[in-house]
Amino acid sequence: MQNPSIVLYGPGSAKLEDKPVPEIVDGHDVIVRIAFVGVCGSDVHFWNHGGIGKHVDLTAGIVMGHEASGTISSIGPAVTCVSVGDRVAIEPGVPCRFCSYCRSGSYHLCKDMRFAAAPGPPDTQGTLCKYFKVAEDFVYKVGDEMSLEETVLVEPTSVAVHAVKLADVRAGETVVVMGSGTIGLLCAAVARAFGAYRIILVDILDTKLEFAKLFLGCETFKPSTTASAEENASSLRSSLNLSSTCIDTVIEASGAAASIETGINVLRPGGKYVQTGMGKPKIEFPIGMISEKELMVRGCFRYGAGDYELAVSLLTRAIINVKPLISSTTRFEEATEAWKKTARGEGIKNLIRGVDD
Amino acid sequence: MVAPTQASESNPSFMLSHSTRVSSLEKLTDEINFSCVLSASRKFSFEERLVPTLRSSRDVRVRVIATGLCGSDIHYWQHGRIGKYIVESPIVLGHESAGIVEECGTDVRHLAVGDRVALEPGIGCNTCETCRNGRYNLCETMRFAATPPYDGTLSTFYVLPEECCFKLPEHISLREGALVEPLSIAVHCCGQAGNLQGRSVVVFGAGPIGLLCCAVSRAFGAAVVAVVDVVDSRLEFAQRFGANETYKMDSRTPESNAERLLSKANLAGGADVVIDATGAEPCINCGVSALKRGGIFVQAGLGNPRIAFPIGDICDKEATLKGSFRYGPGDYKLAIQLLASNRVRLGDLITHEFSFLQTEDAFTNVANKVGIKTVIYGPGADRRVAENT
Repeated sequence: MQNPSIVLYGPGSAKLEDKPVPEIVDGHDVIVRIAFVGVCGSDVHFWNHGGIGKHVDLTAGIVMGHEASGTISSIGPAVTCVSVGDRVAIEPGVPCRFCSYCRSGSYHLCKDMRFAAAPGPPDTQGTLCKYFKVAEDFVYKVGDEMSLEETVLVEPTSVAVHAVKLADVRAGETVVVMGSGTIGLLCAAVARAFGAYRIILVDILDTKLEFAKLFLGCETFKPSTTASAEENASSLRSSLNLSSTCIDTVIEASGAAASIETGINVLRPGGKYVQTGMGKPKIEFPIGMISEKELMVRGCFRYGAGDYELAVSLLTRAIINVKPLISSTTRFEEATEAWKKTARGEGIKNLIRGVDD
Repeated sequence: MVAPTQASESNPSFMLSHSTRVSSLEKLTDEINFSCVLSASRKFSFEERLVPTLRSSRDVRVRVIATGLCGSDIHYWQHGRIGKYIVESPIVLGHESAGIVEECGTDVRHLAVGDRVALEPGIGCNTCETCRNGRYNLCETMRFAATPPYDGTLSTFYVLPEECCFKLPEHISLREGALVEPLSIAVHCCGQAGNLQGRSVVVFGAGPIGLLCCAVSRAFGAAVVAVVDVVDSRLEFAQRFGANETYKMDSRTPESNAERLLSKANLAGGADVVIDATGAEPCINCGVSALKRGGIFVQAGLGNPRIAFPIGDICDKEATLKGSFRYGPGDYKLAIQLLASNRVRLGDLITHEFSFLQTEDAFTNVANKVGIKTVIYGPGADRRVAENT
């Protein structure tokens, strides 16, 4: 096979297939030999349901994967940012460049965004393959001190950077992160890098909270699954000696309706809330409290201008150590096992190794 | 002069004589604070209370000339509570007022007796972190007129600090001065929406707040303002108030209404800003659906505290949802400036007027959703006084 790829055809149905090796068309394109691909909650959703919103075309299928690292295997004639052999993190979404969003610094909101493993039409193929083509400004060199396994984590770290920037976390703040998965943990780590003074991680599973304490040295809180949002919020504050005017920022990284409501309840008047977790698209929501406390609630969508650069910098300078988040590595041919493992809640970040030579 | 007695529903003859006494300003005595009081059992009565004294050297005493009614006043009358605020003891309602300064504390620097002022009816503590950070509207010990347990302005007099009084421009009557409060609400909402120059705005709800948000958005430079409501006459009125487009919402899904609204208003891709002045679930859902990617949604209206809400859309669109609560630093000042410069004209917003003794009729009027804005004149005042002083 020239370009072995993992193709999803629908819920529970994936095949290892050969695909054409991508060719340099635009002078600024690069081809990356994929080293590792991470598994994300959205991959699990695709495996279970065939898509989120737009579904995979059942006959054409789609190459999966969007969190990837690799080495540059060839470059277009106009490329100046990278050379063959460079080790890179990949930002897997290339926008159109000329719409009003692209031209005003919000390329991540481009309507014609071509995001890896996103069904269309037009479909955009993902990174679970041997060779992946992308524009030169969407790959980021990492130094030799960073392994290509860690480099996969640049993508979720960029999600965290984007969320923390939207939340406008400032030095001295008290920040609560709801959900202690990869994104929640990284949001907490980035919030600390941005100067947050007290960081509290919330999860319903003890194991996740224990990991969070070890990984971050942060405070934790375990809400009751039977108490109301108001009760949980009140418990959180009293157990941590926080008044109703203390919690400045909440980053919600679980998407669960109960967690969302608790997050809103916990905030001080004038507080800030960022929704990065994705769960049910419509939920029971305390809109009255948004008004009364004059909260700012912001949706968070992927990552935008400057986020990857900052994520690479945070990891390269070892301000955030992502090694403890990597729980397993699965052979390319067994990619679906990595998805199933993640679906079962095993591990934090599970990786799929790229195609062996 | 007759010694003050308690008026009551069982003393109609007293009320009759009182009504002839209060027919003009000249006959009023300075020794009574004639008040309309709501009991804990939600019944109105009139009382002669003591004239309020200045609480600090920076306070002024204002003779209340005109008071607009708001949904919250009606809500306390009909339900006795809003959320955790409960009418447990008698309370004077009303908070949208304008009047004449009649007494100034010794440290009052910017006001003089005789000044015509609009009242900002909320006093924060000025010492907590929230107040010191400039968010005094969110002060946890805010003393807000007509929010239990603090009395409102439906009385002869009201006392408040001078920084809560704003001189009316010359061409704005005391009658229109009652609209400065809701105008300030609109100024605050539009402020939450950020830079409006050249932007497209959709306002849900063509009641006083929605209409004023429409006018203020235009004044702030919005290129297009589309107003949505379910009542034809309100939509017609909106067109006279700065709406470039109107849309009548129907019983289709919120998402379907959004599509049709955007198509009618020629807003391909969505609106930059949506302001909800209804608090109604279908409107809020429609509004989020009508928002452009990266857009801002301002929640001005108060309705059901919990609703089914499209949080998924907020994420996908990377939208910002901001609550808007009353008004804060600079809002009243800007509202006055908008009136002074005629960038906002109040037009015919005031559709119904009542004398002080007809307060209950006024409340009934608003409860029945008659007209747009209902105003009650203060004890001893009437339209002539409100327009000519």
